[in-house]
Amino acid sequence: MAKNPEHRDLFSGALEMMILHSLRLKPMHGYALVKHIKQVSDNLLQVEEGSLYPALQRMLREGLLESKEGVSAKGRPTRIYRLTDAGMRHLEKEVSSFEKMFAGITRVLAVAKA
Amino acid sequence: MNWVKQLFTRRRRYDDLSISIQEHLEEKIDELMEDGLSREEATRTARREFGNVTLLEERGREAWQWPTLESIWADVKFALRQIRKSPGFAITVILTMALGIGANTAIFTLIHAILMKSLPVSDPKSLYRIGDSYKDCCFTNGLENDNGDVDIFSYDGYRHLRASTPEFEQLAAMQAGQTLTSVRRGQSTAQTRTGEFVSGNYFNTFGVRAFAGRVFTDADDEAGAAPVAVMSYQAWQSDYAGDPTVIGATFYLQSQPVTVVGIAPPAFYGDRIAPNTPAFWVPLSAEPLLSQANSILHQPIACWLYLIGRIRPGTAVGPLQAKISANLRQWLLTQDEYLSHGFPAKIPKVHVVITPGGAGIQSLQQQTDKKLYLLLSISVLVLLVACANVANLILARGMKRKIETSVRMALGSARSRLVRQMLTESVLLGCLGGLAGLAVAYAGTRMILSLAFPGSLHNAINATPSLVVLGFAFLLSLITGIVFGMMPAWITSHADPAEALRGVNRSTGDRASLPQKSLIVFQTTFSLVLLVGAGLLTKSLQKIEHQDFGLQTANRYVLHLDPLGAGYRPEKLAALHQALEVQFAAIPGMQNVGLAMYSPLDGNLWTDGVFIPGRPTSSADADNDAMLDRVSPNFFAAVGQPVVRGRGLKQNDSENSRFVAVVNQAFAKKFFPNEDPIGRHFGIYEQEDIGAYEIVGVVANAKYAGPQTDAKAMFFEPLSQWQHNLKDPIFVNLETQTHYITAIVMDFHGTPQNLEAAVRRTLAHVDPNLAIVNLRSLDFQMAGNFSQERLIARLTALFGLLALLLTSIGLYGITSYQTMQRTREIGLRMAFGANRNGVIGLVMRGAFRQVALGLALGIPIALVGAHYMADQLYVVKSYDPLSLIIAAVVLMAAAMLAGFLPARRAASIDPMQALRTE
Repeated sequence: MAKNPEHRDLFSGALEMMILHSLRLKPMHGYALVKHIKQVSDNLLQVEEGSLYPALQRMLREGLLESKEGVSAKGRPTRIYRLTDAGMRHLEKEVSSFEKMFAGITRVLAVAKA
Repeated sequence: MNWVKQLFTRRRRYDDLSISIQEHLEEKIDELMEDGLSREEATRTARREFGNVTLLEERGREAWQWPTLESIWADVKFALRQIRKSPGFAITVILTMALGIGANTAIFTLIHAILMKSLPVSDPKSLYRIGDSYKDCCFTNGLENDNGDVDIFSYDGYRHLRASTPEFEQLAAMQAGQTLTSVRRGQSTAQTRTGEFVSGNYFNTFGVRAFAGRVFTDADDEAGAAPVAVMSYQAWQSDYAGDPTVIGATFYLQSQPVTVVGIAPPAFYGDRIAPNTPAFWVPLSAEPLLSQANSILHQPIACWLYLIGRIRPGTAVGPLQAKISANLRQWLLTQDEYLSHGFPAKIPKVHVVITPGGAGIQSLQQQTDKKLYLLLSISVLVLLVACANVANLILARGMKRKIETSVRMALGSARSRLVRQMLTESVLLGCLGGLAGLAVAYAGTRMILSLAFPGSLHNAINATPSLVVLGFAFLLSLITGIVFGMMPAWITSHADPAEALRGVNRSTGDRASLPQKSLIVFQTTFSLVLLVGAGLLTKSLQKIEHQDFGLQTANRYVLHLDPLGAGYRPEKLAALHQALEVQFAAIPGMQNVGLAMYSPLDGNLWTDGVFIPGRPTSSADADNDAMLDRVSPNFFAAVGQPVVRGRGLKQNDSENSRFVAVVNQAFAKKFFPNEDPIGRHFGIYEQEDIGAYEIVGVVANAKYAGPQTDAKAMFFEPLSQWQHNLKDPIFVNLETQTHYITAIVMDFHGTPQNLEAAVRRTLAHVDPNLAIVNLRSLDFQMAGNFSQERLIARLTALFGLLALLLTSIGLYGITSYQTMQRTREIGLRMAFGANRNGVIGLVMRGAFRQVALGLALGIPIALVGAHYMADQLYVVKSYDPLSLIIAAVVLMAAAMLAGFLPARRAASIDPMQALRTE
């Protein structure tokens, strides 16, 4: 698949983190998730549709998410994903470690500029 | 369990995923259409942006599955398809493996049942036996073991140890030998069944409860208690059809009334694995009643009991062993009977060894373990030969599938995956072979049991495979599948795809030929080992069967009977013997009738110490043993044992004439070397009968004790003479015991059927209470002594031939295959002038090289193997060049045939046609 050079590849774990965070706001189905991330990031981040579903399956298996039957905005049957307690804890852990890493990177970059 | 739940919810997960993706695409298409695209365009764009749906679904699913497990299942399905595609190949492999695995499973069933199982009792691990050997079976007087190792006890000794060894929670005593017991209910005719005297706490010690009624207890084992018995479930079923009125009924055991108080549970076959398990257990206290004048319960030095007990938790065996040994030494010194029979010199050496008793009395195990392991080694060799054959088959087939394999590899199949697939197929074939092998094993086990223990009534060994046996067969199938599959899988998968795709039949040799040849070498090696083993064992069996027993067996028959069981008291014996002699002699066709305490090789023997006047009573260690048989005057003629010096026994050797004895040559040699034994005197009751017997004749040696040991020193005394002036109670008892006959040997010229009817009639005429224990030819009786040897020799021969056949087939197959591969080369050679003989020679030389190499490897292995089975051989030496040569020649001949057929075919190749083949 050709990649859009304007979009950077996400580092590993980032997709999971964004999915978890999005679902924390409200349970969603797959397509809604893609659109949500795209909108919230002002098109800066674009989820590769292809990698979304394996990621969702992985998180389901790890018990971070659960899915139940539901209908989409257009009334078609789909599966709605929602965060579990374990998913919530995992998200918090990930966010805090991400923040630390981000802070570290920022500091290093700041030194380099000076 | 989470993963179990996942396993079952996976299907739903897969559906969920598809639905999600489907909806995702639909929504995207809708949106794109809203942007103005046509449906077709929108669909195409949505799909392109989404990516490969199938691949993604697959990747999504992978999160849920164990890829190995699922792809193994796919491999299994693939393998099944392959097997279905070539049924001939599959059947050959499955049958070959069924024979190999079946043979091993059959032997393992026996090993497991006989050597590895505990008694069916509660907590067998806490059971221990006082004693470690079974040498002193089944009745001894005092300390007969030179090394002081005590394993058999008197009743008094048992009671003393039981009372003074609190470390044993329970200590039970059981008869070392089992006795044939005459059993009668009401007015029915008496039957002969196995009975065993055991202590009152026997069932409690083993934790065995009654199936019906009750088991007996210590209260039933007190002097004066009403005589009771417990019947085995098997006897209850087979003799009385489970009749509930048996419980509480009075039976006549040895003509004495005994109440059957209960039935033992079905699984309980007693304290040992034996060809005939007891039908009755009777408390020790009833022994005087049942054995009457022969009773040994209260003979202080009569040892006839094995002891097994339950040790208190936490007891250390080592110190307990030392304590009991010391205790026993001390106690023996307080026993007058032990002090008076010359035992004091032996007492300091007395000790016991405590051994695990969970498997009960293990005399059968000690007799058979080496034989069983020998059979197991032999069957493992057969299995290896079978594996090699199958590996060769698969390898040849792999060559045929070379193109397929190459294409798959060229298309990017991983080598490991190919190997796995081929292994799956061979393991599957191994398992199918194992399944078929279970049937072979069941039939084989039954056959072995019936041949090894012929005529057993109630057998403790079951041929039906247990869980352990099933597990063994399954494991063996897996292992064989891997063993015979690994090499072909490896070789096939290492084929160079480019090479293979370029074309076939171009090479003079190929990749598989070396491994295939090594397999043949390997098969030849093991076949030789098996054939040498078979040769040695067969030769040994022949030596046993056709040796000179010192007896005449033609027209000789032996009737076993039990006057004691019929209730005869000592004073009635003389009249009985006379009546039997006269009336049996009157049967038409009867040439000679001999009555005896026991007959040759019928499993009984009696050993006494011999004392010769004027010679110092030898030291405690000196061997003055000789076997005693008490016989009627015509006995020697009846068994065909010639009198070589002096005279035999005569009718007028009576109570009132001087006491006489006839000895055998071994006796003369042992006690009177370089002297004339005739006219010499000896006694057998120490100081009480010094020189009581005068030797009047010498008979030729004959084997009474066993077919594999030389004839022992033996003396024969007349049934009609009885020393009535003995004082020591044990001597009085022994003298009485030796006057009860158990066998009548007949030299009868006529049809055996007539004999049986006549014997029945005559016996009923003498006394209707006298039952026939058995009636058989002397040949049959003697053959019973080496039925196990015969079985092993036959099985080994069978296995050897099987291995030979497999090897020949393997060699034939591989030679044909290679000849076919070399069609072009052979055609070329012939085009350049090679003649038929040259071609035959070329092919045969190839085949011979492998066989010769196999023989070269096999000979040293066979020699080592033979060395290890030397103790299973009679007279034959383990280094027997003849067996080796015969085995090698037979193998060579088979190889020649297997090589010649393809060689001849190769020689008839038309060169022109061969060169054209592609």
